[in-house]
Amino acid sequence: MLPNNEVRVPRPRIGQPAVPRDITAEFTEAASKLNTGQLVKDETFTLFEAVGALEIMDSKMDSGYIAPGENLEEALEDNYDVRQPLAPEQIVGLMDQLLCHEVAWHKGHPLSQTLFTSIYLDRLLWPVPKTIEDARFDRVPSESPLVGLVLRAYCLALVKACDIVHARVATEYYYEEEDFVSHLYNRNLLSAFDMSHFHRLLDQATAWLAEQTDIDQKLKDAIRCRLAFRHQFLSALDQDLQVLETRSTVNFESCLSELVPLKESVPLGKPMPEAFSLKIQRKLASTVPPRPMVNLSSEDALAHLERLCKDAIDMQQMLDYTGPSNFKTAVWTLLSRKPQPSIYIRCLLQALIVSNFNILGTVPVKDFLYGELAELVLPASLLLEANIDEVEVPSDPRFQIAQKMDGFLKRFSQPFVDTVRCACLNRCRLRRTLCHTIVDWDNLQMEAEELDLELRVLSAEPPLQFPGGEPTWSFPLSSWAYHQKLVQFRLILQMGFELSIYSPEELPGMYWYLSHICSTHLGHIDRIRTFTVAARKRDLMAAGSRPGNSAQKASAFHRSFHALERLTTHIIAVDAFAIALHALYVVLARHKILPTASSAQAYSTDRLRYEIRMKPFIPITLPELVPYDEYQREAALEGDSDATILERASKAVAEARKAWEANLANGAFIEDPSGTKSTSPKAIKEDWNRDAKDTMRACIGTSLTIETVKKALAASTDGKPLNLEVTVPEVGTKARWHDWWVVPQVSEKKSKA
Amino acid sequence: MNALSSPHYVRYDNSRENEYVAAMRQLISKDLSEPYSIYVYRYFLYQWGDLCFLAMDDKNEMVGVVVSKLEPHRDGPLRGYIAMLAVREEYRGQGIATKLVRMAIDAMIERDADEIVLETEITNTGAMKLYERLGFLRSKQLHRYYLNGNSAYRLVLYLKEGVGAVRTGLDPYGPIPTGLPEACGHSHANMGSLM
Repeated sequence: MLPNNEVRVPRPRIGQPAVPRDITAEFTEAASKLNTGQLVKDETFTLFEAVGALEIMDSKMDSGYIAPGENLEEALEDNYDVRQPLAPEQIVGLMDQLLCHEVAWHKGHPLSQTLFTSIYLDRLLWPVPKTIEDARFDRVPSESPLVGLVLRAYCLALVKACDIVHARVATEYYYEEEDFVSHLYNRNLLSAFDMSHFHRLLDQATAWLAEQTDIDQKLKDAIRCRLAFRHQFLSALDQDLQVLETRSTVNFESCLSELVPLKESVPLGKPMPEAFSLKIQRKLASTVPPRPMVNLSSEDALAHLERLCKDAIDMQQMLDYTGPSNFKTAVWTLLSRKPQPSIYIRCLLQALIVSNFNILGTVPVKDFLYGELAELVLPASLLLEANIDEVEVPSDPRFQIAQKMDGFLKRFSQPFVDTVRCACLNRCRLRRTLCHTIVDWDNLQMEAEELDLELRVLSAEPPLQFPGGEPTWSFPLSSWAYHQKLVQFRLILQMGFELSIYSPEELPGMYWYLSHICSTHLGHIDRIRTFTVAARKRDLMAAGSRPGNSAQKASAFHRSFHALERLTTHIIAVDAFAIALHALYVVLARHKILPTASSAQAYSTDRLRYEIRMKPFIPITLPELVPYDEYQREAALEGDSDATILERASKAVAEARKAWEANLANGAFIEDPSGTKSTSPKAIKEDWNRDAKDTMRACIGTSLTIETVKKALAASTDGKPLNLEVTVPEVGTKARWHDWWVVPQVSEKKSKA
Repeated sequence: MNALSSPHYVRYDNSRENEYVAAMRQLISKDLSEPYSIYVYRYFLYQWGDLCFLAMDDKNEMVGVVVSKLEPHRDGPLRGYIAMLAVREEYRGQGIATKLVRMAIDAMIERDADEIVLETEITNTGAMKLYERLGFLRSKQLHRYYLNGNSAYRLVLYLKEGVGAVRTGLDPYGPIPTGLPEACGHSHANMGSLM
């Protein structure tokens, strides 16, 4: 179905400055010659604009429409007295309703359907207050301090918190309407007012409350913790990027502890639905039709806030930079949490990951990129050190190497940082973005290859002889780019499982493709390793004649071998599991017990469906796209018997389990051998471990399924269909141990009774 | 429950707009939180009325409708798009929607379409099953695509070989191809993908 929520903002049209003139008569004349329904549209009128159009005078679309007989005053204004005294339980109820609306806005709903339905906030923010004293519900303040002092302080601090969130999200990369709606409807979220005002007002409210003797203690506590939460939340958000220096989690921790009594006292509140109104939408400068109020439950809202605080606290564990792979692992692990961290956290992280060409505020992007190169392809290499030498003789190869490497840095920094930053996108966009960036990396690899050729001459790299006798060189930069591309390839496939893109009948083929990419990757890493080994040998031989920083070099090589080893273990684990699931699915498909989404009456063929699935990879030159016929043969394991295939599945899954165990033992992070790390990223490690353990659970599930299928095969007499029923567990269900590993559930078919 | 007679199917006729469009809007708006404007209907019907099919009951009341279009996609393949599909509630489960979609697809094939795409709400398992049975594949998920905050799947059907390899021009509404802006500057995409 066509979406109905296109951004209704007119796009600027470029043209001559026009002199207005009255065309009513001409227009009416021209229009009278048209038949009803006849469309006159210029070339630039798109579906986009058709969907964005509004029909004036239709109550469902025209938010300013006043029906005949409707009183203008009543249509626009609510008969609600913002000065009326309220009981403490009503104050609690109101605060909680506002909090729900605030969270609904955080979650991507527009202000017009959430906070801006509050009559209190409307009065507070319109007309735009010039001083903090002006920001109140009514010119004549309420005589009730619970309203005029307590509720006002709460509302003001809430708006200010929204201001900070809005400012952070709006400066980062996000998708309007998908992740967040930034529209403020010509209101201002008190951005001009200094933070101290809000804390002062909250303090006053809290102090007043403490002195009251006629308010029930439970309600007093309920209001107190709500004010305290606002205090802490505001301070927590106010830290923003300064968290890089303060490294303080105190405020977010306090938020979490205030949320405990807050949650418990929700039932004490008395909701005030009359204090919220959709009529306000009619006054908000906006081109959208009237839309319903968003009702988020307190339970959901508080759970979201709790997660936000926890994510913000745990985020701090990745602020210490301990090398490129650790940094990447931390970012990826944190952002892969389910549910995904909120847009505010994702935007804050974007800014922390890189700003002003610094990673985490301190590490120059160059160090990050060179660190990665040293770790994977160029340990202790002249290429990375050339520009440290400050050789200034243009004819010196070192000078030329430095120049080439500078060019490389300029070209590759941004795309490389983006491979990390893109994890901050929502998961759907992440996969889509990877489908685009993989093409960019294909081009980058070719550019890197050009550079490699030039650098090889400048550095006088000796070739290796491969068994064929042909000389081969290391091609470090393009090898590294190819590695990046293979990582993205694998991610695109795996995120397809996560986002439930594949139909059941595609599963055998997709796991085959995953293992195909993994084995390609493993072969590539072997090649890299071969050249690193050779470089090390050369280095050791040279060291005999030229003693120097040999310990440093040894440790650089050691780090690189270690990193390659870890990478290998990980890819072997993915590969083995993919092989096992591929084999299992092939048998299920052969026996026609794997459910299928398409039918015999389908318009398309397997060949055409393969083409759709491979679309992102068609433009990629390396690895080459597997032609359909070859894919068909390989993925169907043509020529192998069921028994052979299941045996392969058993072996592969056993290997996968071992490899995942080894992976888990390796741990999320490369430990710093100097042991000087300041904070251990405990929470992120736990997430990473859980992920590995879930994968191992999926392995165990797969072995059990394989055994069940083996038994059923053994029991089946010739020609009879297997008495098995297969279900493919959906993402988010218990049987789906891991989003990326779809383990089929196989059970004996119940006899029809 | 009284048995419902099986409907008959007709192709949309622009000369009967007054009669058809009102019924169509009613049928389609029923499942929408916010109606499409008349311009959306006219956009499709005036240009591709022959790709719109209706199911009528024995009293000639509309019980089902499919609205679509067909045009080159970014100077690339000839792409069909199924924009709207609705069947009156009491008539569901009889294969009317499938029949309507088949008629639209057949008409597009007749006009040499290369591919057909559409979006469907993630929670709409009925629609998803219908299209997947016809051979559509999910190509991507679209985050919070609809007003109610629900995500969608893009479903794609290739009708010819080699469609995936056809290069297309830049999509003015699509995401910025490189995904992310410069690390030092800031901007953001503010348009959803529509087609």
